[in-house]
Formats: sequence, structure tokens, C-alpha cells
Amino acid sequence: MSMLIDLLIVFFLLLGSSFALIGSIGLVRLPDIFARLHGPTKATTLGVGSILLGSILYFSSRQGLSLQEILALLFLFMTAPVSAQLLSRAALHRRCDSIARLPEMDDGAEKKSGNS
Amino acid sequence: MLYLLVSIPFIGALLVYPATERLRLPPSLVAGLMALSALVLLLFIGFPVYSGAVLLSRAEWIPQIGLSFSFRLDGLGLLFAELILGIGVLVVLYARYYLTELEAGPRFYAFLLLFMGAMLGLVLSENLLLMMVFWELTSLASFLLIGFRRHTSEARQGARLALFVTGGGGFALLAAVLIMGQIVGSYELSDVLASGRLVADHHLYPLVLVLFLIGVGTKSAQFPFHFWLPHAMAAPTPVSAYLHSATMVKAGIFLLGRFFPVLAGSELWFYMVSGMGLSTLLLGAYLALFQHDLKGLLAYSTISHLGLITLLFGLGTPLGEIAAIFHVINHAVFKASLFMAAGIIDHESGTRDMRKLNGLFKYMPHTAALAMVAAAAMAGVPLLNGFLSKEMFFGETLVLKWLVEAQWHWLFPMAATVAGIFAVAYSLRFIHDVFFNGEPVNLPKTPHEPPRWMKVPVEVLVVLCIGVGVFPNFTVRPLLESAAAAVLQQPLPEFSLSIWHGFNTPLVMSLVAMGGGAILYSGRKWLFRAHDRIPFQISGKQWAESLVESIFQLGEMVDRLLDSRSLRRYSFFLLAIVVAAGAVSLWGESFPAAKALTPVTIPVVIGGLLLGAGSIATAVWHGKRLLAVIMLSIVGLMTALLFAYFSAPDLAMTQLLVEIASVILVLLAMYFLPQLTPPESSRIRLARDITLGVIAGIGVAILSYSMLVQPLDSISSYYLSQSKPGGGGTNVVNVILVDFRGFDTLGEVTVLGIAAVGIVAMIGGLKIWGPEKDWLGRSWAGDRHPVLLTTVSKLILPFALIVSAYLFLRGHNYPGGGFIAGLVTGVALTLQYIASGSDRARQRLPWDNLKLVGAGILIATGTGLGSWVFGFPFLTTTFAYVTLPIVGKFEIASAMLFDLGVYLAVVGTVLLILAGMGGLHQREENV
Repeated sequence: MSMLIDLLIVFFLLLGSSFALIGSIGLVRLPDIFARLHGPTKATTLGVGSILLGSILYFSSRQGLSLQEILALLFLFMTAPVSAQLLSRAALHRRCDSIARLPEMDDGAEKKSGNS
Repeated sequence: MLYLLVSIPFIGALLVYPATERLRLPPSLVAGLMALSALVLLLFIGFPVYSGAVLLSRAEWIPQIGLSFSFRLDGLGLLFAELILGIGVLVVLYARYYLTELEAGPRFYAFLLLFMGAMLGLVLSENLLLMMVFWELTSLASFLLIGFRRHTSEARQGARLALFVTGGGGFALLAAVLIMGQIVGSYELSDVLASGRLVADHHLYPLVLVLFLIGVGTKSAQFPFHFWLPHAMAAPTPVSAYLHSATMVKAGIFLLGRFFPVLAGSELWFYMVSGMGLSTLLLGAYLALFQHDLKGLLAYSTISHLGLITLLFGLGTPLGEIAAIFHVINHAVFKASLFMAAGIIDHESGTRDMRKLNGLFKYMPHTAALAMVAAAAMAGVPLLNGFLSKEMFFGETLVLKWLVEAQWHWLFPMAATVAGIFAVAYSLRFIHDVFFNGEPVNLPKTPHEPPRWMKVPVEVLVVLCIGVGVFPNFTVRPLLESAAAAVLQQPLPEFSLSIWHGFNTPLVMSLVAMGGGAILYSGRKWLFRAHDRIPFQISGKQWAESLVESIFQLGEMVDRLLDSRSLRRYSFFLLAIVVAAGAVSLWGESFPAAKALTPVTIPVVIGGLLLGAGSIATAVWHGKRLLAVIMLSIVGLMTALLFAYFSAPDLAMTQLLVEIASVILVLLAMYFLPQLTPPESSRIRLARDITLGVIAGIGVAILSYSMLVQPLDSISSYYLSQSKPGGGGTNVVNVILVDFRGFDTLGEVTVLGIAAVGIVAMIGGLKIWGPEKDWLGRSWAGDRHPVLLTTVSKLILPFALIVSAYLFLRGHNYPGGGFIAGLVTGVALTLQYIASGSDRARQRLPWDNLKLVGAGILIATGTGLGSWVFGFPFLTTTFAYVTLPIVGKFEIASAMLFDLGVYLAVVGTVLLILAGMGGLHQREENV
């Protein structure tokens, strides 16, 4: 039984590390900012998520049910998309170089400057 | 009883505001009743003092420095206390009619009662240090009273000048009292008075005397410190009548009497005190004649009379002391009534300029009669009180011929007669110029009699003038005898108080003074012209102000010398000094490595390299601000990880949270900073700074290394072993914070609160115009609060609060605690501000962050005080264990309440700083 659980833990850790690695490579290699965003926000989030699953299994099998990681997972999965969206908005606003054609911006809204 | 007596005015000062606002009582009524009840109490308990008794009461305050709450009621104290309270009652009554509705608020009466209490405490103090406390209190209270009409620059300048002079004198007096106390070995007045010639024979005696006289001279407006008094006339007239006739300026005189047995009797005392008194007497009398302002005349005549009293004390003869005390009473009575009369004239005619005031007798005959009697008393006309003491004064100057070198013996009687001539002349001017001498010129108002009750205080005082003048033995003798006995501390010589002593030299001097005064006054027009022609006018006020100014300039000069206003130069010097000091003190020392090093592991190496790289990158890219912040946060993160690696989870968490908060802060501040890179500094400076930085870094590294390898037997082992049994928690860090070193933490939380208040004060009304576009001319994004961010941040808040509560509750045993939980909550709430904007966030989080900080400090302090209730020392903790579902077993310690205080203070401060900085943007946009 414990062998099986250990194997499962190893699986999650390896899966997580691979996601994180792939995401990091993507951050370096992809051509423009909009594509690069996918690396840290999607792949790496999945990677960290998998590692946290492994952590749940590890601590639950040894010290009794461990649920703190779920809270961490929750934070991670809620904040990563938000930061991705904010970053892409900023990039859009600054008209960063893009391989795809950027959508037209409404200039009227731009006049009201301000950023809090 | 003495405690009650002294505290009545202070209680009154506290009561005036609530009584006026809640009970709608007139403030003058409250103040008057308070003063009256104190007076009645004084007369009641002071009865045995007439027969020579001395009432003492004593309680320790800070026995280590000899400070105690001891009061003493003897003859001298009784006399002054009666003057303070008696005239105080009359002044309150007078002020009721003198001040306008607007001015006569509770503020005035609260100040007046405060001053009354301070004076009362001063004259009744048995402990010398306590007396100094009250002495300074009188200076402060008089500052408030003189500057009462704070909208006029005259009042503000006068008050500042008075505070500057009397405060400086107080400093000298404090030194004198301290030396005196050291010589005697006790600060209790009874011991000092019983010490006899101890102080006078000590080799420090001249120093004590000079310092003492500076204190006395500044307070009692003696030459050359007299110049503040005329400027203090900017005070409302009731204040002048009170402070500058009967009380404040008599405080110095009181001290002369108080310490007469200790300090007097030497040749030095005679020359210094009588010299000071004589020059003040003459100068005051001379200048009084040339004042055109009614109150100015009275002010200079007060200076002159104070000089007379000082001179009498300086003579050092027993009869001279009796005359001095007698004149204290007489002067207080007639001068208070004259000030009040001057106030009535000012009040009813609208001016105090004697060149305009003429012939007022027709308009206000009753007031005129009262003022004329009082002025006659000031001149020393027979049948009035001033005559008796002046007669004694003249008599005493004549006896002096044995004391002074033979060829100078005529100096004192001559000077006394000259001063008498001037006194008669200015009194005549007060009477003749104001009430007769033709018609008034361009008065702002048509003068008429004042309200009935406004004259009552003057009437009472004038009746006293006549009563003392005609029947001195019935009215004033018992009081005078007990006071004089208290001053002399030995049996009184025989003296007679009567109007007719036969035709002798003092009477001749009086007659000369009368005649001379009349002649002098009749030649006044010529005299005024001559006086105006004196080209130089010495202004003590200007002198004092330029002194203050040059002190400021000196301070600025020293400041410029030390502070170059350049952070870079500043830190360069700081580092250079530290490096030099370290090198000098540690040169040649060796640190043998006594402990084995822990093995180097790969994570530590990587972490260390990243730390170094992050620091260097921050320095290299400091021009690109955003990049530098990111590099700096690498340093912060690596530090947190290293803390965690080396088993310091509390530190790691704190570091992480502080890192977050400071990055937010830096980003907020960056918005206002110029976005272009400032010019780089020269290569030489760069090389210099880098060299210094590297040397300092190597030095710190060597020091830390040698510290770490020393076999150190520190207090930590005690904390580790005592944490569980003594503090009831297994998390040593938290137990140290809230229990072992709870007092430290309390202090730190208080500092945090003070910093928060400072920040509020600094950015409260601040408006900063942030740039409208970035450095490439692009405008900011239009969407201020992205929907996704706003929504998710609201969703996250409850979870963040759960985490925070979890960290808080388990803090005593596992990593966590109030400080960390507070940071979590603070950052989580700041996110709400960022996501939704200050206005929305304020609606949803409606409490006042400043009050939150205050509440935190109060709770923490309250917990500490709570242990007193159970008879334990401050901040003793107790604990018990509780089990809750989900959270598990945790422990309720009283330390947890303390931790709650820490938590609240941290939350409030974080929000104040971050939301305050963020709010600056908001305000700028709303304009």
C-alpha cells in the first residue's frame, strides 16, 4: 500500500517538475509576450499544483490528513489567471510587439488616464 | 488638607469645560466658586499659622531623586496664598464683565485656574524639586494667559518673550536649587532652612547665588531682565491685574523671602541683591513716567516697585524684611486695583493712550475716585497703605550708613528719594492726565461708568488700601508678623506700624518726594521732549529676539555641517565611520574557530549565489527602477528561503510578508518619482563608493563569521528551556515576543503607532500631482479597476482572513503569531484597496485605521496592566489549554490578548501606510 502511495507521490512530483520545466522553457523561447505569458501562468501553475498534490499525499500518509495545501492550491488557481489577464491587458495597452494582429483600441477610454 | 487646597484650582481647570458645555453654567461662576472655596479652606486651615504653627504634609513621589509631594503652610506661604486666592476671586469677578462673550469662554478660566493652582503649589511647596515643577508650570500657564488673544501678533510675541525669559531663568534656578540640595543633602525645605549657614559658607555659594538671582530676576522682572514685562501687557487686563500685580512677578520675590535665611547675610548678597533692586527701582520709575500707554505706565511702575522690594530684601536687616513683606501686600492691593481701573477706562473709552484720555472725571466720577485713591497709595500719600511701607523703606535706607563704605552712605537715601519723586510724578500723571487736564481727544467711544459689579473688585481693594493705611495694627499686623517670622526664622524685632512717627528724616524724604514729584510732573512737557531726543533706545525685546534668532541660525549651521541633504553622502560617511571604528577596535584581534562549520550543501550555495547576484543586479540596474525592484525582491525572497532552510520559519514568514508590503509601497511611491534615469555620477565617485561598499561588506562577513564560530553561551538556551514551562508555548520566538520580552514588544508596537500617526500627519493633507503620461508619452490604461481583479480579490479575502486567524491562533506553539497574522491581514486588505479603489474599499472597510492602531496599543497595554489586578508585576502572563474543532488543541494565554493588540496595531499601520500612499493617487484624480 505504502509503496503504491509512494509511487503516486513520485508520479505527481515528476509530472509537476515537467510542467514547470516546460513552462520555463516556454517563457524563454516563445516569440512574443502574449505567447510567453502561457508558460508561467498555465504550465507552471499546473506544475506547482501537481507538486502540491504530491505534498498532500506525502504528509497525509505520514502525519495524518494534511489540508493546508488545498488552501495554497486555491490561492494559486485563483491568482494565476488574474495576473495573466492583467499582464496581457498591460501588454495590449502598450501595443507590445505581437505575431498576431492586435485588436483596435477605443481611444476615448484612453483619454481618461489614471492607474490605481 | 493641603493636598485638597492645592488641587482645588487644578480640579476647577478640568471642570470648567464640561461644566460649561454640559451643564450650561457660566464658566466665570465655576471658576469663581472654585477660587472662593479654596480661599475659604485656606482661611480655615490657616488659622493656627498666625500663632506660629507650620502645617506640613508629605508623600513620596520619586524618593530616589529626592522628589516628594510635600506641602508646607507657614506664615510666608499663607500670606502669598491669601493674595493669590483673594485677588484671584476678584479677578474672576472682574473678568466676567471685562471680557466679551466670545473671549470669556471656558478656555480663559481654565488657564486662569491652572495658573492659580501653579502659583498656589509654588508657594506651598515643601519639597524644592516640587517647587521647581510648579515654578515651570507658572511660566507655562502665564505663557498661555499672556498669549490668550492669540490672533494678535503682539500677544504672541509678548507671550513668547515672557516664556523665553522666565523659562531661561527657571533653568538657572533649577541649577541653583540642585546645587543647594546637594550641599544640604536634602531637598526638603525644612532641612534646608534648618541648615543655617551651611550654604552661605560653602565654596559654591557665589555660583548658587548668581544662578538663584537669575531665576528670581527673570521672574520678578528685575533689571536687566525686566524687558519682558511691558510686552506682557498684551494680555487681557484681568490677566495683567492678576499676573503682574499680585502673583507671577511676586514669585521671584517669594523665593527671595523663602531662601532669605539660607542665602542672605553675606556681603555678596547685599551687593548683588540690593544693586539689582536699586537699578530696577530707578530705571522702572524713570521709564514709567514716559509711557503714554496706561498699562505701560503701570507695568514700569510694577518693575520699579518690585525693585524696591528686592532692594529691601538685599539690605538684609530684619526691619528691612518686614518692610519688604509689607510692601508685597500693599503693592499687590493697590496695583491690582489700578490695573482693574485702567481696564475699566480702556473698556469704556476704547483706548489706553494717555494723550487722548483727558478729563474723564466728568464721565466716570466713581471710577475716577477709586483710581485716584489707589494711585495715591502708589505714590505713598499718608493715610494709605503705600505710605506706611514707603516710610519704612526710607527709614531702612538711612540705617544703612554702617554697612556701606562711609563715603557712599548717602547713595541709598538719595536714590530712594529720587525714585520716590518719580513715583509721585507718574502717579500724578495717572490721576491728572487721565481724569482732568481738559477734554478727551478723539475717543473711539463716549466713556461712561462701567457695570456696577465690575467696580466691586476695585472697591474691595481700595477699601483695603485705606483700611491698612489707617488701622495697620488691626488689619495687617498678624499676617505680617507670621510671614516675617517665617522669613527670618528667628524672633522678630520690635517694630511699630503707625502713621505718625514724629517729625523725622523719613518724613522729610516723603515730603521731598511729594514736592519733587509735583514739580517734576508740572515740567513734564519739557521732560517728554527731552526724553524723545535721547537717540538710543535699548530694546530688550529686540535683543532677546535676535538672541533667539541667532540660536536658530547656529542650529541651522550645525545642521548644515552635519547633514548634507544627500542620502548618498550621508550613508558614505556613516559607513566610512563604521568601517574605521571597526578597523581600529578590531585590528590585530584573532578569532580562533572553536566550532565546527556545518557542511556546505547545494541549495545553500545556489541560494547564496542568487542573493549575491540579486544584490549586484539591483545596484547595476538602479537606474531602471522597475527592474531594480524586481531584483531587490529576489534578494528578499532568497533571504526568506534561507531563513526557512535554517529552521527559522517565523522569520521566513515575516520576511516574506514584509517583502510583499514593501514592494507594494515602493511601486506606489514609484508612480510619483521621475521616470527618467537621473544623470550618473562620476567614475571616481563610483569607484570610491564601490570600494567602501566592498570593504564594509567584507568587514561584516568577517565579523559574522567570527561570531558564529565562537563558543557562545547566550541567553537563548534559557529561553529554549523555559519557553514551555514559563511561557506556555513551544514557539520560542513568539513566547519571547509576547512574554519574556513583552515590554520590548509593547514599546515597539507603540513606536509603530507613533510612526503611523506621523505618516498620517505627513500625507494627510498632501496632494501630489502624478504624471499624466509615462516617459514615452503614452497615457495610462483607462480601466482603473479591472473586473476580474476586483471580483477575485473579493473572493480571496475570506480565505486570506482564515489563514491569518489560523496563524494567529497557533502562534504560541507553532510558527505564526500576532505580528505575522497582522501582516497577512494587512496585505489582504491592501489588495482590496488596490483592486476596488480607495473610495469603495473605505465604504466596505469603514473603520478608522488610526483608531485601530490606538486600540491595538491600548489592548496590549491593558493586558499588561491586567496582571496588576491579580497582584503580579506588569505583563505577567498566564495560560490554559482549549481544544477547538478543526484548529485543534491550542492554548489561551493572556499573552494571546497581548498578541491581539500587536495584531491590530500591525494591521492598522500597514493599512495606513499602503492605503495612504495609494490614496494620494486617488485624491489627485478627483481634483
